Amino acid sequence: MPRLLNELLPLYPHHLSTLKFMQILEVQHLQKTYRSSRKKIAQAVRDVSLTIAGREVLAFLGPNGAGKTTTIKMIAGLILPDRGDVKINGRNPHRDAEALRSLGAVLEGNRNLYWRLTPIENLEYFGVLRGLSPKVARQRGRDLLERFELSDKRNAPVQTLSRGMQQKLAIAVALIHEPQLLLLDEPTLGLDVEATQTVKRLIREIASEGRAILLTTHQLDIAEELSDRVAIINQGAIVAEESTGELIRRFSGSAYVVELEHELDRDRTSKIQNLGAIVTEKTILIRETEILYEVLHILQPLPLIRVEKEQANLTEVFLQLIQTQSKTSC
Amino acid sequence: MLKLFLAEVKRSWIQFIRYPAEAIGGIFIISALFYGLFLGASYVAGSSIKLGDRLDSIIVGYMLWTLVTFVLFDIAGTLQNEAQTGTLEQLFISPFGAPRVFLTRAIANLMIQFVLITTILLIIMSLTGRWLSFPPTLIFPLITVILGAYGLSFAIGSLALLLKRIQQLLGIFQFALLFLLSVPTESWTGSSKIVGLLLPMTAGAGLLRDMMARQQPLNLPQLGLALLNGCVYFGLGLALFRFAERETKRRGRLGGY
Repeated sequence: MPRLLNELLPLYPHHLSTLKFMQILEVQHLQKTYRSSRKKIAQAVRDVSLTIAGREVLAFLGPNGAGKTTTIKMIAGLILPDRGDVKINGRNPHRDAEALRSLGAVLEGNRNLYWRLTPIENLEYFGVLRGLSPKVARQRGRDLLERFELSDKRNAPVQTLSRGMQQKLAIAVALIHEPQLLLLDEPTLGLDVEATQTVKRLIREIASEGRAILLTTHQLDIAEELSDRVAIINQGAIVAEESTGELIRRFSGSAYVVELEHELDRDRTSKIQNLGAIVTEKTILIRETEILYEVLHILQPLPLIRVEKEQANLTEVFLQLIQTQSKTSC
Repeated sequence: MLKLFLAEVKRSWIQFIRYPAEAIGGIFIISALFYGLFLGASYVAGSSIKLGDRLDSIIVGYMLWTLVTFVLFDIAGTLQNEAQTGTLEQLFISPFGAPRVFLTRAIANLMIQFVLITTILLIIMSLTGRWLSFPPTLIFPLITVILGAYGLSFAIGSLALLLKRIQQLLGIFQFALLFLLSVPTESWTGSSKIVGLLLPMTAGAGLLRDMMARQQPLNLPQLGLALLNGCVYFGLGLALFRFAERETKRRGRLGGY
């Protein structure tokens, strides 16, 4: 099925949006060990398996040296795994160069562009390098520049563009051949607030077109905002992989927090404390959910600022998982 | 493949002319060297291949030396430059495959260099009124030498992939190149002659010497052997590069120069 899909896609690109549940990337049991000159063995990646479907953003998170870049490079065919299998649209990039037609990548720490060329020249060159005709590459390049709001800079050498514009262009170049899988390694690193917002919007748009996106970032708020699923890697192994919402829910408590506009009077404070809730100045923490409405009844008609279920964020989840695993392995 | 070649020519040419001062500087150096040769200052050619004492032979010898040196270090140079500019990985994720991309780029670069030198030569010839004459069949042995040079270029590129920093080795290669292109294997006899045929590029260089210095016609059987020699070295270089690419990917050391 994936091979058939790969052949049909160029004919029916508008059907890309219907591919929501089709697995574009399948990674099975990847393993990579490096041997240093002193015969020291380092297990960079241990039994990593991942899948990403169309329209899905997978945030691939982990501390420095956890094995993220090695995994991404194995997916892109740039590092040969010792064991395991990578399939992009059913094709293995290590054996079948055709698989690379379905892959676009913006790699971290790299410019990914020729600085002496202009944006349109970069788009045309990389389009041909990915197998397009110069005419198609030029046309798609013009469309992408328009969409990425870079049209007015189309003839300026890349080195004169701002970091944000360069990053947008690198993403545009990675999309020139309309790949179904996009690898984005730290796409918002070093960008200012405005450029970060634009890149986030573009990532959402690109995914909504039906593409699968593998995103790595150390900015966990961005990962939380953009991803449908999260995979956390530590010391070469995946320690969690599930939907972002589910993961956060799993790590969130069941308590509620009520925030008041003014400090609570003594009478209400004692009534609420008697129910078992904790009152601190303008905040009430309710651990037993069944007393929530009783507390709200007591508070009536005082002005409230918010009533919220205590919610973990991805940063807390990430730190908890990484620290727990580090303690276990010690 | 042709589309990729044209894209490479365009890319290389734009990169060359984007900063006019740099391009003019480069053209000025080449022009000065060839003009010096025309004025009789053959020493300006430095190390080159001796194809005779006539101006025609000196110019052809120097041009051959320049182009072969250019080809020889092209792939290793591209690898190191691309790693520095942060585009190396993008070349390796092309569906064309790295060997084809690097070969196409090396041919495109050579073509630009060749056209540039030829244009400069034509301008100098029209300015000085001294027209060079050499047999057009010179192109055939030249192709065999260039084929061998591409084979060696892939071999040096393989070393660059595996060892990363090879600047120190490049000097040795240049010395070896001078030996290979100057050693008079065409006058060797017996078992030495077989050794001469096995060395890279020497058979083609010998034919060039026969044609330019000794005014002999093109020896077709010799050309066949030189072509075979060129093809074998080209194939070996390509095979070595494929091995080095796989080995570098196995070690996880692509990029990071």
